[in-house]
Amino acid sequence: MLEIKNLRVKLADEDKLILNGVSLEVPKGQVHAIMGPNGSGKSTLAYVLAGREGYEVIDGEVLWNGEDLLAMEPDERAAKGVFLAFQYPMEIPGVATLTFLRTAFNAVRRKRGQKELTTPEFLKRVREEATSLGIADEILKRPVNVGFSGGEKKRMEILQMAVLEPSLCVLDETDSGLDIDAVRVVSAGVTKLRSKDRAMLVITHYQRLLNYIVPDKVHVMAGGTIRKTGGKELALELEKTGYAEFKSKALESA
Amino acid sequence: MTVALTRTKVEQALSHDFEAVAAKLPGGRAVTEARKAAIGTFAALGLPHRRIEQWKWTDLRSALKEPLSPAVGGAAKTSAPDIDAALEDLAALDAYRMVFVDGQHVPELSTVAAAKGLEIASLAAALAKSGDHAGDGLIAASAIGQEAVIALNTAFMTDGAVIRIGKAVRLDKPLLLVFARTATEGRLVTTRNILELGDGAHATVIEAHVALRGAAPGQANTLSDVSVGDGAHLTHTKCTVAGEAASHLATWLATLGKAATYHAFQLTASTGLARNNLFVTFKGEGAKLDISGAFLGRGAEHIDTTLVVDHAVPGCESRELFKGVLADKAHGVFQGKVIVRPDAQKSDGKQMAQVLMLSQDAEFDSKPELEIHADDVVCGHGSTAAEIDEDLLFYMRSRGIPTAEARALLIESFIVEAIDKVGDERVRAALAGIATRRLATLSASQP
Repeated sequence: MLEIKNLRVKLADEDKLILNGVSLEVPKGQVHAIMGPNGSGKSTLAYVLAGREGYEVIDGEVLWNGEDLLAMEPDERAAKGVFLAFQYPMEIPGVATLTFLRTAFNAVRRKRGQKELTTPEFLKRVREEATSLGIADEILKRPVNVGFSGGEKKRMEILQMAVLEPSLCVLDETDSGLDIDAVRVVSAGVTKLRSKDRAMLVITHYQRLLNYIVPDKVHVMAGGTIRKTGGKELALELEKTGYAEFKSKALESA
Repeated sequence: MTVALTRTKVEQALSHDFEAVAAKLPGGRAVTEARKAAIGTFAALGLPHRRIEQWKWTDLRSALKEPLSPAVGGAAKTSAPDIDAALEDLAALDAYRMVFVDGQHVPELSTVAAAKGLEIASLAAALAKSGDHAGDGLIAASAIGQEAVIALNTAFMTDGAVIRIGKAVRLDKPLLLVFARTATEGRLVTTRNILELGDGAHATVIEAHVALRGAAPGQANTLSDVSVGDGAHLTHTKCTVAGEAASHLATWLATLGKAATYHAFQLTASTGLARNNLFVTFKGEGAKLDISGAFLGRGAEHIDTTLVVDHAVPGCESRELFKGVLADKAHGVFQGKVIVRPDAQKSDGKQMAQVLMLSQDAEFDSKPELEIHADDVVCGHGSTAAEIDEDLLFYMRSRGIPTAEARALLIESFIVEAIDKVGDERVRAALAGIATRRLATLSASQP
């Protein structure tokens, strides 16, 4: 279970509060969506969960299966099952995608005390996942994300997620910049990974993605806190009403 | 204006040592005269220092503090396994070998002999045979400019490889020239190679400048005089891992004939002070030059690449890509000058130097220069120095890759782009192995 308790976060080198007391619980086996307007703190929450530098936690805690996530380095978090699908995946010139996947895969397997796979076993594994995501073999040989289209980059994030077998998946605006076909492929990849041992946090601005990845709960975030929590129908309501209600509240509290 | 300078201890010793060893140096009367003229040139110039533009970042006068006695004859006994150990990944290369230990050819360790269309000899033997005539271009290089380092090479050269490949002859295997240092006391080792490819000839030549285990700090002055005939193709690679306390002064002088291809590469690592001087002149139209390199510095190492590419005739293409990784207090220098003469229309020159800085204390100085006298040309250059991208590092760590491993992967991916330019696949793999081993120590030396 992911437990976020009264999390308050500011930028490390600026006195700017971004998360102002976020509390949230995502039990294993559930998918929660976080929706909210731009600048509400959604992406910051994703980065803080993954351990990116540049933020300072001034209060609160984050527990993952009872362990203090914030005390861990990013690679330790990955070994503990945390995976962040980036809104803007990075390009790594000179590092072949397969090499990158293999290095990451072996690193987390070692840390988790699992055995590494032989090269043929690993390749088979990656190719199966890649095929179901519509990723061509040729792309796996190219440097990570270099020259990839927006859709290819997002598929690659889901491929990494599938290969690394995380138990806490955080998806940051995975649907942004995708056409409807790409949203379908990516959503199918995510849905396939839903399981009773896995918690998922899906961050999105639009309701569209949640037609395909149906959440157990929807949280509305604005002004750095969770404003409202409801079932999947909340997403549909928001689609009609927009975020205006939450924006004004956010301003009042600021 | 000539400024009278007090000669340093090293400069005085060099002139003095020449008198002492001159009689033991190979060559007939003409060579001896050339040597004397060269030491005279050196005495007038002294060691290059920072007030000479081309040497402003590599001040040999202050860097070379202790005089070293010239190595003349009597190379220490060396075994093939010792040489192989020093050659690292190059040892397994299926190649002809010519081995020089402390500047002396060692026939027992060499595996190459003259064949039809291939003239191969040690420079010492060639000079000894030259009698009163220094013909056959043996000392032609000394005619180039007023370069103190070249003058010293002419004065002190003891040996080297003389390779002449006949018209349309293809060397069936790479030729590996090994320059190993063994001396238990520091020596000045001076070698010169002559590489001549006849029209249409093909060859792959590798120079490996290495130190055997236990070798004392030393100084190497090496020069390769290269001429690539019309339509000929030369892949010329240098791998320098001379030792942290060693200095390495290397000069390559190359001329390219019509439609010739010269594919050159230099890897420099684990060397205290290196100055790689490259002068390439296009003599015939339609020739192609690709000259690239990788340099890896740590500790207080200083690695300088200075090159001049002279588009003296029309329609030639030059490409240069140099990449370096600098850790600790290492100092990298890149000076690249491309000259396009007035008649050299349709010249196409591109040059790039990129450095990855692993430490705040590392330093990189770069001076790309274009000197263009023709109007119908395509020329460009660039130079960058960057640190490891923290966002990339985070991305990789978020996938479970530990920091050290992520850094190593990023550093390797940076340098691989340069190493990919090595013209021969087998040589490329060997250099990649040697570089990767050094990179591991570079990234590990960081916090």
